[in-house]
Amino acid sequence: MANSPVATATSSGWKDTSRKALGSNLLPIIAALIIVSVVLSFMTPAFLTASNVTNIVTQSAVVGIAAIGATFVIITSGIDLSVGSNIALSGMIGAIVAQSTGNGFFGIATVILVAAVVGAFNGASVAWLRLAPFIVTLASMGMARGLTLQVSQGQSVYGLPEALNWLGASAIFDVKTSALVTVLLFVVAHFVLSQTTFGHRIYAVGGNAEAARLAGINVRGVIFAAYVIAGIMAGIAALILLGRLDSATPNAASGTELQVIAAVVIGGTSLFGGKGSMIGTFVGVLLIGVINNGLTLLNVSSFWVQFVQGALIFLAVLLDSVNTRRRAGQSRS
Amino acid sequence: MTSSNKARLSLEGVSKTFGTNEVLKDVGFTLEGGTVTGLVGENGAGKSTLIRTLAGAIEPTTGQILLDDQPLPRTAKAVIDAGISVIYQELTDIPDMSLLENVLLGNLDARAGVKRQAENRRRARAGLERVGLGRVDLGTPIRELTMAQRQLAEIARCLIRNARVLVLDEPTSSLPEADVETLLQVVTDLRAEGMAILYVTHHLDELFRISDTLVVLRDGEKVAEGPTSQFDENSLVRAMLAKDLEQAYPYRERSIGDVVLQVDDLTAAGSKGNSVTARAGEVVGLVGLAGAGRTELMRALAGCHSVSSGFIAVDGRAVKPGSLAAARESGILYAPEDRKRDGLVLGGSIESNLIYGDYRQVSRWGILSFRGMARKALDIAQRYQVRMHSTSQPVGDLSGGNQQKVVVARISEREPRVALFDDPTRGVDVGAKAGIYERIFDLAERGSAVMVCSSDTDEVLAVSDRIYVLVSGSIVAEIPREQFEREHILHLSAGGNKSNGTFS
Repeated sequence: MANSPVATATSSGWKDTSRKALGSNLLPIIAALIIVSVVLSFMTPAFLTASNVTNIVTQSAVVGIAAIGATFVIITSGIDLSVGSNIALSGMIGAIVAQSTGNGFFGIATVILVAAVVGAFNGASVAWLRLAPFIVTLASMGMARGLTLQVSQGQSVYGLPEALNWLGASAIFDVKTSALVTVLLFVVAHFVLSQTTFGHRIYAVGGNAEAARLAGINVRGVIFAAYVIAGIMAGIAALILLGRLDSATPNAASGTELQVIAAVVIGGTSLFGGKGSMIGTFVGVLLIGVINNGLTLLNVSSFWVQFVQGALIFLAVLLDSVNTRRRAGQSRS
Repeated sequence: MTSSNKARLSLEGVSKTFGTNEVLKDVGFTLEGGTVTGLVGENGAGKSTLIRTLAGAIEPTTGQILLDDQPLPRTAKAVIDAGISVIYQELTDIPDMSLLENVLLGNLDARAGVKRQAENRRRARAGLERVGLGRVDLGTPIRELTMAQRQLAEIARCLIRNARVLVLDEPTSSLPEADVETLLQVVTDLRAEGMAILYVTHHLDELFRISDTLVVLRDGEKVAEGPTSQFDENSLVRAMLAKDLEQAYPYRERSIGDVVLQVDDLTAAGSKGNSVTARAGEVVGLVGLAGAGRTELMRALAGCHSVSSGFIAVDGRAVKPGSLAAARESGILYAPEDRKRDGLVLGGSIESNLIYGDYRQVSRWGILSFRGMARKALDIAQRYQVRMHSTSQPVGDLSGGNQQKVVVARISEREPRVALFDDPTRGVDVGAKAGIYERIFDLAERGSAVMVCSSDTDEVLAVSDRIYVLVSGSIVAEIPREQFEREHILHLSAGGNKSNGTFS
């Protein structure tokens, strides 16, 4: 119901974005992050130390970077279940190439290339073959993991060239490079999503693909690009994992997709598409990181950590659904 | 229905406030069994809120609603059980289910959880007979029925639930003209059976035909009420808009220039070998019954779906048929018929919806200027008189007419060479209609070729310089404005010339 006269109000861009970013979906999760952090810092003095805080970001790097890609994909109303397998496959092939050529840079290029190809496969299947994202990425999840096991014959590859390990192993002034890169990538991704025409198109495609198409947006291209970005992000995450372990293992990052999707959804991105933010995902990643870290410091079994993550997804989806319904109720007047 | 269980539904001083926005102000009237009450008002006058209040979906802030002197129950389900059924503008059936399952939705008779087939079929049949669908096979998937049949099936569903008060919200907005008659007949029959009916529509002619009483809302207030016989079209429009409507559809004489759009022998799904032209400054109308291929022709022209054969040229340059991108590149823009499904990203802001598909004016190197977007959107919204709070508001929050203005504005402001408006005033009130056509005429005056179609033939005739008449996917006649003759055109579009085989 719009009973006001023709509006004279205007909105400034940054205010608009920050309001969107700090919309109703985000406040509860920021509050949750603060509450959990405060509680943990009382329960264990080790929690609120500078080294532990950077530790949390470092530990969250793999999930965080993958979640950047997943945010793009989920806003287009897609999903990427293949991210964990993609990390393993691209890491494994990159490690093998690096070892056999002795050149770490070849390895890096291979990791990114393979990951992008998996993303392109997903994107092309969704955009042009019009297959359901859930099924496509479930299939590529299986295929990528199978390929990983085949090329490695189930064996880990140890002792990688230094260049290949750099992203995951090096540090700049006591802070892990991986943590810095994660934060940097979030800043860039936030800019792309909120301030560029590409980001604007991502929201339009997720909000109503047919309306976006008829309005002249290249819907297929946008969807394809989102999955390729998700693939490349998986590749960067793979580099971090390689460097951290100085090895490639065939079952690396298995189950990561769940943590990634959890972080994105907890961060307020709607699984229905068209709604979400990179800031939200960042907070979601931190919340999962803080809970993992806190429960570890408290010597809680890692089985409980999984349980808590599952419960968080449930709460986030519930919140999303309630919000969507409430808004639908309001706007139908 | 005996006279003893005729319902009496009265609203007393009903107000509803959302936040600071007073949507209904002290509205009161009474629905009596055996009468049809017409409810009219502009988009945004509060009709939808009033309907949702009656349905038990929202509670009035103050005031009360009495059904047979008892306060209305507080949940939607209890309201239905009490005998009030609302039929919404959009169909609420489940396309893949059968007619039987749909009309008994939420109301299947079962014993110990097992469906009682025979009893269910008997009840469904009884309800369907009252709306004239007694002969349709109960097992038919409802998606295979016509829009009119589906609309009637929704009414049957309410009858099976023993509705005594029926609220119909724009029941004819998606129906072809021929089927409107059927629906009005059913409404008249139900009135004779003693049903209390609230009939909400933008089609004033329907109200004059079937309603006993009229209630007019404006800005949430009841501004007029009385027997239908006390109103005529002018006084009703004056009550709705608080101003005289000189002409419902303004027509302006324009200078018509060279041929802009040239289409030869275009064949696509639902369009058979059609050739059309449109000139600069010209408004070309497409006339035809629902299913005659108006939308299909427009969509084929716009490249929305693939085209099997044909030639399209804009300003003498050939355009690859069946390509949305090629059509847009050459300046053909299409405003879809169903704004909610195809036209708008409802969760997106007004400024976003005005900008989709063309970022040139509001971005540099791929980076958006939100300030530029807001400025541009505000300018457009003012010129098109979009009623809103701010340009960053989700477009889904606007009323239907204002949403439609956004769709029309997005197309018009791109200065297309050819603009295709598919039913640009669907579900829009009479005041907003005139405004939308004014903007469309402005566009034509700036030298675009414009094509429009509408489910309302009179409307197309009123605004067009020339029309094409379509029958089952083919153009059967081309008529210039000087030769517009309503009866002849309706005859043609009903396939009148087919029998003797001459296509004029």
